[in-house]
Amino acid sequence: MTKPVDYPNILLDALEHGVMIVDEEFNVVYWNQWLEINTGHTYASMVGKSLLTFYPDIDYRTLQRKIRTTLRLNSPTFYDASLNNRFIPIPRNKITSSVLNTMQLQVTISPYVVDQRMVMIAVYDISDLHELKLTLQQQMKKIAQLNVELQHDKQIIDDNLLIVKTDGEFHIIEVSKAFNVFFGFEENELIGWPLQIIYSDKTPLSEYTHMKKTLQDLERWSGEIEILSKQSKALWMDAVVTPWIDHLGVLSSYTAIYHDITDKKRLELLATTDPLTKLYNRYRFDEIFDVTLMREHWKTGDSFALVIADIDHFKHINDAYGHQRGDEVLVRIAEVLRRTLREGDTLARWGGEEFIFLLPHVDALRAILVAEKLRVAVEKLSLFVNVQLSFGVSLFVAGDTQETLLNRADTALYKAKENGRNKVELL
Amino acid sequence: MKLIEFSGDHLDVLRELMNIAVGNATASIADLLKAFGTMHIPKITISDITGLKQYIQDTIPSENSHYVTKQLFGGPLGGEFIFVITDESAINFGNHLYDIDAPKDADIYDAVIELTNILSATMISRLTEELNVKVQFFVPSTQIIKGNNLIDLDEAQGYAQIIIISTQMEFQNQNINGHIFILTKDAMIQSLKDLIDHKLEELYA
Repeated sequence: MTKPVDYPNILLDALEHGVMIVDEEFNVVYWNQWLEINTGHTYASMVGKSLLTFYPDIDYRTLQRKIRTTLRLNSPTFYDASLNNRFIPIPRNKITSSVLNTMQLQVTISPYVVDQRMVMIAVYDISDLHELKLTLQQQMKKIAQLNVELQHDKQIIDDNLLIVKTDGEFHIIEVSKAFNVFFGFEENELIGWPLQIIYSDKTPLSEYTHMKKTLQDLERWSGEIEILSKQSKALWMDAVVTPWIDHLGVLSSYTAIYHDITDKKRLELLATTDPLTKLYNRYRFDEIFDVTLMREHWKTGDSFALVIADIDHFKHINDAYGHQRGDEVLVRIAEVLRRTLREGDTLARWGGEEFIFLLPHVDALRAILVAEKLRVAVEKLSLFVNVQLSFGVSLFVAGDTQETLLNRADTALYKAKENGRNKVELL
Repeated sequence: MKLIEFSGDHLDVLRELMNIAVGNATASIADLLKAFGTMHIPKITISDITGLKQYIQDTIPSENSHYVTKQLFGGPLGGEFIFVITDESAINFGNHLYDIDAPKDADIYDAVIELTNILSATMISRLTEELNVKVQFFVPSTQIIKGNNLIDLDEAQGYAQIIIISTQMEFQNQNINGHIFILTKDAMIQSLKDLIDHKLEELYA
């Protein structure tokens, strides 16, 4: 059969999409060039035949209903373009992706010659768009899965880690569930308060200031800090506080993660303190002396003093009043000494009735003044018996070791005892 | 933007035209899909986008999932036709149309599209026929939305004024009910007003 040449058909053949004209019984009246090329069925082979012959698998009941609707309403009807193609299968030759082997079609059925019960079916290849949509859907699915995992992880973190988030001004904006449970707070109880509210007053102000300064310099801070529960129970925490910088490089918040080290601190305390006076023990004092002070001293060229103090006539107190009262004297003296010392000085029980001090950043005069202040404080102590201390002071000089310093302090103490006790001597 | 005011006469004409359109839609659905139902008298409201969102939230129950089909129509009178049907109603309708117990997702989508086609074609065509203008229908698209958040305020803030024509359809035998919204905006509202003015002149000439 030869195509009649007329302008409307030339127009239909020129279209960059498929056009067929069919009647209500699916007989093909026109099959344009686009369809010829893409389906492999020629105009001659299609015209006058039923679509059923070539495409038996289409849902013809639906197609017929759509054709009738089009003719009855004299208005176009559509297939849902979002679904897999439900109309004729047209092979697709895209090699670089294999999501769709047949074209995804957008199908519009429009009235053609209504009184002859004919419609025009236009098919548009929307495969690329559909492919994009499928890819997007796959990506969205992956994102949704990641979101679920993220939520799960977030839940685990919220339930198990002690986390506090603050704004740039250190006001609390978020608290993990685990933190609230651990410290006995209600869900939103801490929101809006300054971070400092959760720290006990045992945390030195200087430490808190140092932490703030480090964070404001956009560096991570870590250290040990004591936190008070709602019931005022003090708990030691290992803390890591991190500044959060947004994509513009501006500080947006701080996140603090805490780890309970109360038991560790308790053991540490047992290992480093004297159980009676709660002062550092000899082991801890040696550690501080060796590791910290000597190293710092060599670095700065600064001087420091070692002081040994001994309770005068302590044997007599024990003999006269018993060991229990003697212990009481030791405890009270330890309290007075601790209260009287400067921040940064170190005090330990050296053994028996002896105490030892490290006084950093002092010269001879300053060391004697500090020791004298301690002596007077003990002398004024109101106890069941008058107590006094004798002090031996040695000042670090180049080449000194712990042993030489101790020897000089001991000799000075001996001299103080020799000179009538309740005295301070320097050597 | 100066808001366009509709007089009582304008609203009366529009209401009357929509009553005729609704009658046509019911008859067409009975004829073509063998589904016999009723449609409520349309409500006509002039609102802004926030009002539209509120209106939809007040009309559509929030606890269901819905098949939401949107179809644009263009020409002297352009706008958006929205058909909202609960997922349960959509399944029942797919069941009815394809005559199978468990219609596939594709069957349900196509059934909803077919129903939307008929509703939009009859209602809009009837309205525009009465106003002596032609419109072009664009390809509809359907999506399933949980709840009733049909309007994305971020994307739809550009509209100062919107006419909402809404109605409800019920097919008791098939246990199906849905909501229809016909929305037109800004310049199109002026166009609609002009067309109604023209119609009024015809009527009282």
